[in-house]
Amino acid sequence: MHSAPDFLSHVATPLGFYYMILCVLNWVAALVMWRHGPKTYTTLKLGPATIPVTNVIVWLLVGAAFFVCAPLAMIGLPPELPSEVKQIVNELSGPVTLTLGSLALFTILFVFRRAWTAPPVAWTILNLALLAMGMSMTDPNFTAIVAKPDNVPIVGLVFLLGFFTWLATYKAVLNDDRAAQGLPPLEKEDNEKVLVWPDLVYTELICMVALTAFLLLWAIALQAPLEEPSSRVKTPNPSKAPWYFLGLQEMLVYYDPWMAGVVLPSVVLLGLMAIPYLDFNRKGSGYYTISERKFAYLVFQFGFLELWVILIILGTFLRGPNWNFFGPFETWDAHKVLAQNNVDLSQFFWIKWLNQSMPKAPTGSGAGTELLYILWREMPGILLVFAYFVLLPPIMAATIFRKFFVKMGFIRFMLMSNLLLMMGSLPLKMVARWSVNLKYFISIPEYFLNF
Amino acid sequence: MAEKKKLSTADILAAARKNAAGGATPPPAEKQPAADAPAEVTPPSAPIAAESAGDSPAATPKSARAGGAKPSVADILAAARANKAAAGGAAAQPAAAKPAAAKPAAEKPAAKPKADKPAAAKPAAASGPAVRDTSSILAAARAASKPGPVSKSEAAARAKPAVPAKSAKGESAVPPMPAKPDYAKPKATKEAPQEERRFFLGVLVGSFLGLGFSTLSATGGLWTLAVLRYMFPNVLTEPPSKFKIGFPSDFPPGVVEEKFKAQFGIWPVNVEYKGQRQIVAIKTVCTHLGCTPNWLEAEQKFKCPCHGSGFYKDGINFEGPAPRPLERYAIRLADDGQLEVDKSRTFQEELGQWSDASCFVSV
Repeated sequence: MHSAPDFLSHVATPLGFYYMILCVLNWVAALVMWRHGPKTYTTLKLGPATIPVTNVIVWLLVGAAFFVCAPLAMIGLPPELPSEVKQIVNELSGPVTLTLGSLALFTILFVFRRAWTAPPVAWTILNLALLAMGMSMTDPNFTAIVAKPDNVPIVGLVFLLGFFTWLATYKAVLNDDRAAQGLPPLEKEDNEKVLVWPDLVYTELICMVALTAFLLLWAIALQAPLEEPSSRVKTPNPSKAPWYFLGLQEMLVYYDPWMAGVVLPSVVLLGLMAIPYLDFNRKGSGYYTISERKFAYLVFQFGFLELWVILIILGTFLRGPNWNFFGPFETWDAHKVLAQNNVDLSQFFWIKWLNQSMPKAPTGSGAGTELLYILWREMPGILLVFAYFVLLPPIMAATIFRKFFVKMGFIRFMLMSNLLLMMGSLPLKMVARWSVNLKYFISIPEYFLNF
Repeated sequence: MAEKKKLSTADILAAARKNAAGGATPPPAEKQPAADAPAEVTPPSAPIAAESAGDSPAATPKSARAGGAKPSVADILAAARANKAAAGGAAAQPAAAKPAAAKPAAEKPAAKPKADKPAAAKPAAASGPAVRDTSSILAAARAASKPGPVSKSEAAARAKPAVPAKSAKGESAVPPMPAKPDYAKPKATKEAPQEERRFFLGVLVGSFLGLGFSTLSATGGLWTLAVLRYMFPNVLTEPPSKFKIGFPSDFPPGVVEEKFKAQFGIWPVNVEYKGQRQIVAIKTVCTHLGCTPNWLEAEQKFKCPCHGSGFYKDGINFEGPAPRPLERYAIRLADDGQLEVDKSRTFQEELGQWSDASCFVSV
């Protein structure tokens, strides 16, 4: 249940400060709310006196709770996560549950955006996340990953991303409400002209000074993560790309190198460039909105949050030695054995389902015959990929994307639907790999062509 | 801006007469176009326009400017010159100045400084090109200061084409230009065949630009050649691609020898492949993206730390993204009985090259 005492004494002081900061954060929030006029949630009757329970009082109490946690953490008795919870979290951070779970969370965040962006709810979520973080820090495995100098900025970025996602969604919800009442968006109301000098330049100067000071302090406090001298024969285990490339590295696990390293990144770049030409929705220019641009919003958030951020988090925190999956509270055991015998679709088809050997060109046959045999061998995968990229778009145009097809015309629609399908192929492939150990749909190693 | 209004002959004549009678009062023709009209017509430019309108017809550029954009230094200079000339002309021959003053106002009501700056001087200057040298401005001013009597039909003829700005430009009386000096005259064109033949040479070295680009591409070409030469050094300090690793008896069955990994990048393995026991030299490069895998003795597999590709002891890929088995180097039994590895040749399983006898030594 409890972590080793020597480790707890190791994190005692930082954790104490951490809880102190959380306490101050809540008290400052309470102060701000008090100055803006407190809101009464309910009233408590205590004998003759009636005490109104305002938001100020609630957050003062939350701050006080953190205030109590701080000295407890200092003397080595910080609040800890029960090991059952850790076990559940470890199991939930398996790849399939992580991907599908984050997809579900993404849907929930979209559907209930009005509820969770309400400031008290968002503040509660932030507090809970920070508390969970503090409680997890008592786990040596978790701390080893999160407090690694490489990963500290990524943890910061996760919170920063949460904040900006909240901010954008909050403003979009406000604007959508205003639009429903026939009012112009907030940005149109508040478009007062601001001068570059001094308004912008002064702001930039202050930001520059503050950031420089922050970076200096950071550089002094956290040592640069230098590793051993490089050696041709010794690859660090695990070998991780810089954090911003971890999504690409994760992609490389599921695709052939030229596919994941060349084709798909190029498609991502070209697809982003194509957006202005594919987008026919003239609304939402210059202000936040969701309901006026639902399709664009969902596609972008899916591509960014699901396929980029979740993959970076996965690569940073959940990939351990030998590129195996490890839960956040799991020891990085270099000898963890996972059954990962990957099977190509053609092997599934010929050997498992048809119960016969793979088609193979007789020895000594020419290159043309061999190629035909290879194509015959990979026929199921080729047909599947063909159906996915060629047959699905017309079906989409005839059903769910009927309006899009009418507005975009043939070429633009085909471009859009193929980009969309390409994007969707990544999670499909990932889940297929994790669930049924599918390696490649089309596997032609003879010509370096695998998909 | 004020819309252009076509003036009838009667309007022009009436304006001219009124001007002659009123002396210093502004010509009524000027009142009609909105932009450079006096105060009661256009409130925005009122103060300056009113002030300048009181002076004389010569002051028109000022009022025009007040309604229009900020004039450049060149505009001011030109306007000042035109002003001076027109003032002199007006004093000497008030009658002659009348059509001159009335017409430009009718012609260019829009308050564009470029078009209006010489307007007060005379139609010639008004419709000429914007930038003029001193002599041409003076010539134009003098020419217009004594235009002689203008008949009804002449005035109408002049006023008419003046309304569309573009055509006025073409037709306007441009001051006579001095005869072109020899160097300004276009050169006599060469005969067509000769030009065609020397055209390419002319492009190459005929101009400084051509010369510059030719030199640049020549330098670039030489540089590329030099870089290509640099790719083939005179002396290679690489380890030899052929080396001996010991006798076959040094490699017991089922053991992956790791001691050659650091220096030579090979794993000699005594392994059973397709029912045949053989010693092979496996290349220590992952076939996915080229990291160096590790041999995990406990799991009996090669495992790449970069993307998790796994290979059996014989080099066959079975997990992770690696699309094909690890490659083999050529190996043979040397004359002294030792195993000799040749790194200059590799053998790939998926191409069926592992059946080649030079990539294994049977034991």
